[in-house]
Amino acid sequence: MQKILAIDPEKCTGCRLCETACSIHNEKTCAPERARIHVTKWENEGIYIPMVCQQCDIPICETVCPMHAVKRDTDTQAVIIDEKLCVGCRLCVQFCPFGAIGVNDKTKTITKCDLCGGEPVCVKFCQPEALQYIDTITLNQRKRRAAAKKFSEYLKKMLITI
Amino acid sequence: MVWNRKIAFINLSTGKVSQKLVSKTMRTLYLGGRGLNMHMLYTLLKPKTDPLGHENVLFVGAGLLGGIPCLGSGRCDIAAKSPLTGAVGDSNIGGFFAPELRFAGFDHLAITGKADKPVYLLIKNGEVEIKDASHLWGEDTFETQTVIKRDEDDQNIKSLVIGVAGENLVRFANVRTGMKNSAGRTGMGCVMGSKNLKAIAARGTVPLDFAYPDELLEYCKQMNNMITSTRWAKAQSRWGTMIIYSNTNTTGLIRTRNFQLNRLEEGEDLEPENIDRYSIGTSGCYGCAVHCRHRYVLREGPYAPLYGEGPEYTSLGAFGTMVDCKKMETILVANHLVNKYGVDTLETGGLIAWAMELYEKGILNDKMTDGLKLQWGDEEAVYEMIRKIAYRDGFGNTLADGFRGAIAKIGNGSEYYAIQIKGMSNLHSDERPTPSFALGIATSTRGADHLRSRPAIDLYGLPEDLLKEIYGGSVATDYNSYDGKSRMVWWQELLYAITDSIGTCKFQTVFCAVHAPKWKEFSKLIQLATGMKLSKAQLMDIGERIYTVERLFNLREGFSRKDDSLPERYFKEPTPIGLPAARNKKIDRKKFNKMLDEYYELHGWDNNGIPTMETLKKLHLDKEPSNLT
Amino acid sequence: MSEVRCLNCLERFPVAPKAEMATCPKCKTKYRISWPTPNQAKIKGLA
Repeated sequence: MQKILAIDPEKCTGCRLCETACSIHNEKTCAPERARIHVTKWENEGIYIPMVCQQCDIPICETVCPMHAVKRDTDTQAVIIDEKLCVGCRLCVQFCPFGAIGVNDKTKTITKCDLCGGEPVCVKFCQPEALQYIDTITLNQRKRRAAAKKFSEYLKKMLITI
Repeated sequence: MVWNRKIAFINLSTGKVSQKLVSKTMRTLYLGGRGLNMHMLYTLLKPKTDPLGHENVLFVGAGLLGGIPCLGSGRCDIAAKSPLTGAVGDSNIGGFFAPELRFAGFDHLAITGKADKPVYLLIKNGEVEIKDASHLWGEDTFETQTVIKRDEDDQNIKSLVIGVAGENLVRFANVRTGMKNSAGRTGMGCVMGSKNLKAIAARGTVPLDFAYPDELLEYCKQMNNMITSTRWAKAQSRWGTMIIYSNTNTTGLIRTRNFQLNRLEEGEDLEPENIDRYSIGTSGCYGCAVHCRHRYVLREGPYAPLYGEGPEYTSLGAFGTMVDCKKMETILVANHLVNKYGVDTLETGGLIAWAMELYEKGILNDKMTDGLKLQWGDEEAVYEMIRKIAYRDGFGNTLADGFRGAIAKIGNGSEYYAIQIKGMSNLHSDERPTPSFALGIATSTRGADHLRSRPAIDLYGLPEDLLKEIYGGSVATDYNSYDGKSRMVWWQELLYAITDSIGTCKFQTVFCAVHAPKWKEFSKLIQLATGMKLSKAQLMDIGERIYTVERLFNLREGFSRKDDSLPERYFKEPTPIGLPAARNKKIDRKKFNKMLDEYYELHGWDNNGIPTMETLKKLHLDKEPSNLT
Repeated sequence: MSEVRCLNCLERFPVAPKAEMATCPKCKTKYRISWPTPNQAKIKGLA
């Protein structure tokens, strides 16, 4: 079953452990700007939304890449960049609608989420489980169950009353 | 690497900025954060410096481990000579500022002088700019941050700011960042105000390198698991520090009506579970897996709509039990007001509670309070007093000088009712049944304060062998006992000095959780992050050095053994209510003094609380400018 | 089963899952109970 990096902003506490862990794992340094995931915040309203590559089915980064350096990993289905082919034109950076592709300010190489080869570090560090690496069927099942919970409680009450 | 981190010296009078590397010696002796701040405070300030004068220095320091992905490593330490107490001024703040300061290229700032007009500092990738803040003067702490982000066109800027209380030199004005975080104690916001410094904004992309990044990452994961598996952290993740109320109010360890009662009767609405009515979720500081603060919304009532964060257990007492207000909503509104104006929640609540008792006793009257009836449980009077203090309006001006100034002005026996030590208000905790807590507030270098040493696990009745294992000596299980409690306080003082210096959260060490990261774990984190090998014994020595430097600073300012005491009421009035272990308890003066003697001995200080030459030598402090005569 | 510590006699005692009340078996103090997690009880206040 294909897994996705699922985000639940309602559970995010804004702690940025995901950014920090991502940067240390992938860049061997603590530099949130070099992380592949970023928590976007509206601090005055208490809204936190982690933003990361959605591993699109029709990746715009792939479409615009003149070097055909954007590929799909056969195991994880992550959209990955072949550094050997990349010429650093940054068209992918410009066209990604999620701001999910970055440029390392030191090496100038393109950085993007590769799902850590199937074991995303950000997920391991997310205590409130706002980030989950999960297949879509299970994810939808859980969401349906959570949404239907209130209805089920109402029904239970009705049945007991009757 | 840790060895290339910098400190910026900023003179606001001249506009001159210089930079220096934090030396290897200083790192090894003091780590960072509070440790380095205390060293600089002691060595760079002349004795008897005017806290509000241009010679006072405001130190801002990120911890040695600031930025690592565990244990809430975003703590920032702010220090100066305190305008509230005249002693060590030092306050620790969470949120996201400290890591951003490090990303901006600095670990420490030392700000001296006084700007001739309002300014703010913009610190970006190794550069410090002093910018005009005329348009920010008069703005509250939330709006100030919003405007800076807008002006600099960068939503990721993190700022330390003051509100109107800091501008008006309220002696317990705080420094704030984000919606929630405050460096509340000892009036660091007042020092910023005295320098015409409205804010310090940081933003940067300088990476933090570690000695062993992969191993560090793995160990940080273990640390997060270690703390989140404790009962304390689980409950705190759900309801924040307010969970302490469940135990303290049930037992009878909570100051009520200033100091008249030790439990709030009919205080059910203040139970932490009731925050669920207003909460839209919790929120965490940088690198924190516990996320103890609530994001709350008031949708109804005269103060709606209102979004705020917190409140802490402290505010439950400050605007609940101490002033006899029994509604959660009062706490949420008052918490928002003190945050907005930028004034310490605890000092403000403590002073208002004291004024209410004086009003009840007739020491204060309507004429003196500008006609405001300071009656127990009147939340509107509380809100109005908060405003009056922040703006130094009428009677607020009297309280804005803190206990010392207010006692001098009011006189008439008012001092007896003041629950303060060294000029600083105590927490809303009642320490009469708990000698360990009582000793801790008496000896704290920054005035009545629980965050220098509180051995909260003393309340758990832990077996003696476990206590011996933790504290390295005999400690009585019973929290009413005086036996071994000096050891507990001493040990916790050293541990918290280290926590504040590596920049992690006190709630994620031995505060309320026994099996939380401590010496061994800190030692390993430091080694993996920086390569520095420091044993438990060496870390304890560093803690001892930091605490002793604070002691030396206070001695130099004229504090002595007589200031390491408790308000008279602790010795005279027994607790009237509560469970048997908390009822009819007062502090025994003789036993307290014995505890104090033992405590000094553990630190290597003499009977007057003065560090012996042997201790100074051991800690490499014998060559420091002690200025002791 | 989750335990709580009696605030009066410090005895640790088990609390039945989802229980809203509990009595200390040793000193008989009665408490109201709440649940920060489904598996962890805490004392809310005196009953």
